Amino acid sequence: MRSTVLQLAPLVLALACTPALAKKKAPAKEDEPPSQEQVQSDISTRQISIQSNFTGAEILIFGSIDFSDSRTPSEGTYDVIAVVRGPNDPIVLRKKERVAGIWVNGPSKTYDNVPGFYAVLSSRPVRAIASNETLKGLGIGLSDLDFGRHISDNPEEQAFRSAMIRLKEQKKLFQENDDGVKFIGRSLFRANVLLPVNVPTGRYTVDVYLFRDGTAASKSQGSLEVTKAGLEAVIYSLAFKHSFIYGLLGVFIAVTMGLAGWYAFRRD
Amino acid sequence: MFQIYLPIAEISVNLVVMLGLGAAVGFLSGMFGVGGGFLLTPLLMLSGIPPAIAVATGANQIVASSVSGTMAHWRRGNVDLRMGVVLIAGGVVGALVGVFLLKILREAGQAGLMISLTYVCFLGVIGALMLWESVNAMLRARAGKAVSARRSGQHNWIHGLPFKMRFPTSRLYISTIPPLVIGSVVGLLAAFLGVGGGFIMVPAMIYLLRMQTNIVIGTAIFQIIFVTAIVTVLHATFNYTLDIVLAFPLVIGGVIGGQFGVRAGQKLRAEQLRALLALMVLGVAIRVLIDLVVRPSDLYSIVPLAGS
Repeated sequence: MRSTVLQLAPLVLALACTPALAKKKAPAKEDEPPSQEQVQSDISTRQISIQSNFTGAEILIFGSIDFSDSRTPSEGTYDVIAVVRGPNDPIVLRKKERVAGIWVNGPSKTYDNVPGFYAVLSSRPVRAIASNETLKGLGIGLSDLDFGRHISDNPEEQAFRSAMIRLKEQKKLFQENDDGVKFIGRSLFRANVLLPVNVPTGRYTVDVYLFRDGTAASKSQGSLEVTKAGLEAVIYSLAFKHSFIYGLLGVFIAVTMGLAGWYAFRRD
Repeated sequence: MFQIYLPIAEISVNLVVMLGLGAAVGFLSGMFGVGGGFLLTPLLMLSGIPPAIAVATGANQIVASSVSGTMAHWRRGNVDLRMGVVLIAGGVVGALVGVFLLKILREAGQAGLMISLTYVCFLGVIGALMLWESVNAMLRARAGKAVSARRSGQHNWIHGLPFKMRFPTSRLYISTIPPLVIGSVVGLLAAFLGVGGGFIMVPAMIYLLRMQTNIVIGTAIFQIIFVTAIVTVLHATFNYTLDIVLAFPLVIGGVIGGQFGVRAGQKLRAEQLRALLALMVLGVAIRVLIDLVVRPSDLYSIVPLAGS
């Protein structure tokens, strides 16, 4: 409970500050009332543990629009886009080539900053919600990520880049869902995200943007932690931190099982 | 149902399938008196386990099946301990070379290819030779001629080599160089392919060292325990490729399957067994070759940056 209160504190602060900002902008526009809508959101699970029975996890992002101007659910004044981002990692993408009749790993490209998981969920297609520049500025959408590599118009670079996105999408590590955010009534919304079995561990950020008339009117941030837990965590840390002992343990188990098998089935 | 998450391979596999895979390979290895690594490692690779992890975990599984096998041979006095120690000494050197070779190839992104190519070459040649030999033996047996025995007492070039040692159990007085070389080749193969190397060692010891077949098999399986154990520890320490959670069902399935395999094998004739084994070896070689020559469904692949 205490941590929930702490997490909400920045939100409260933001609530207090934004009307001031909105007022500054207001005179530029005509005599529209200053928009005061705020988005608040949270995630169903803040901690996901990968244990031996882990086959993936589903998280629910939910929230509401406070001070909403819309009176009916179908009015379509607001759009919500949720972006879930896993920890960044460098990866190497290799392309196979045919050499003497055999398919061999040929040229490769390194990407320094690839999110281990990246999902964009929205209430409508993102291109219909905001302009490309706005989306690019906020880092929304796969086509606007640079992956830590300068991508020129070089067709080979483009081919590698789209292959990488395609492979990540096949593994469900990259997701774009135009229809992923559902409104319930006037101001509540929810979005389900499926984390596949091969999700990387680490800290994930969840950014929820509230759009009105093509601009981000409000933003709410949250995070969740994916960690290996239980026996999986013990084995994993043993394997990487005490790898020699881990190797001996593997041999010990095998020798014991081998002896047990021989003893159980011996005939003399 | 029964899905189990592998902490090192970082994928989820079916526990029942892995137990079954271990049992099937164990059954065949018990039946033919081979380690079964040459079947297990490619099968693991075909079921989606990364090649380097398949090799290290395959080696770990062979430790268990060779312990079971050695116990049976030990009681019959078929293990030449001194020969075993010389072979192991060579094996350690070969294993070290193999583990570091694999580490370098992995960083260059060519580990899977080189493992597959080596499998195709070795299994292709050995399968073809075994098939040729066993078919000839079957034809001779049908023609009513006696199957030729080993030409004992004959000397060959091996006997001209220095550093001779006496091996009382095998009743041999030969140079230690050939067993050291055989041991190191087997160690290299164990580290690189995740195989025990019995399919190389047994013919080499019979034809080059002129040892008796039963002692050859007992000694080979004895030294395989140590070589695969060393390979397992080296891979775990330097390549972080051992997955104990994967090894566990494979070991259990393998130990149980192996015992039933031994019984099934006693019902078949030796030449028939060798012909069947040869066909299986060739089958695996062809299967691995097909994966190399057929255009892959996706030309691109993602690998995490080495060392991260």
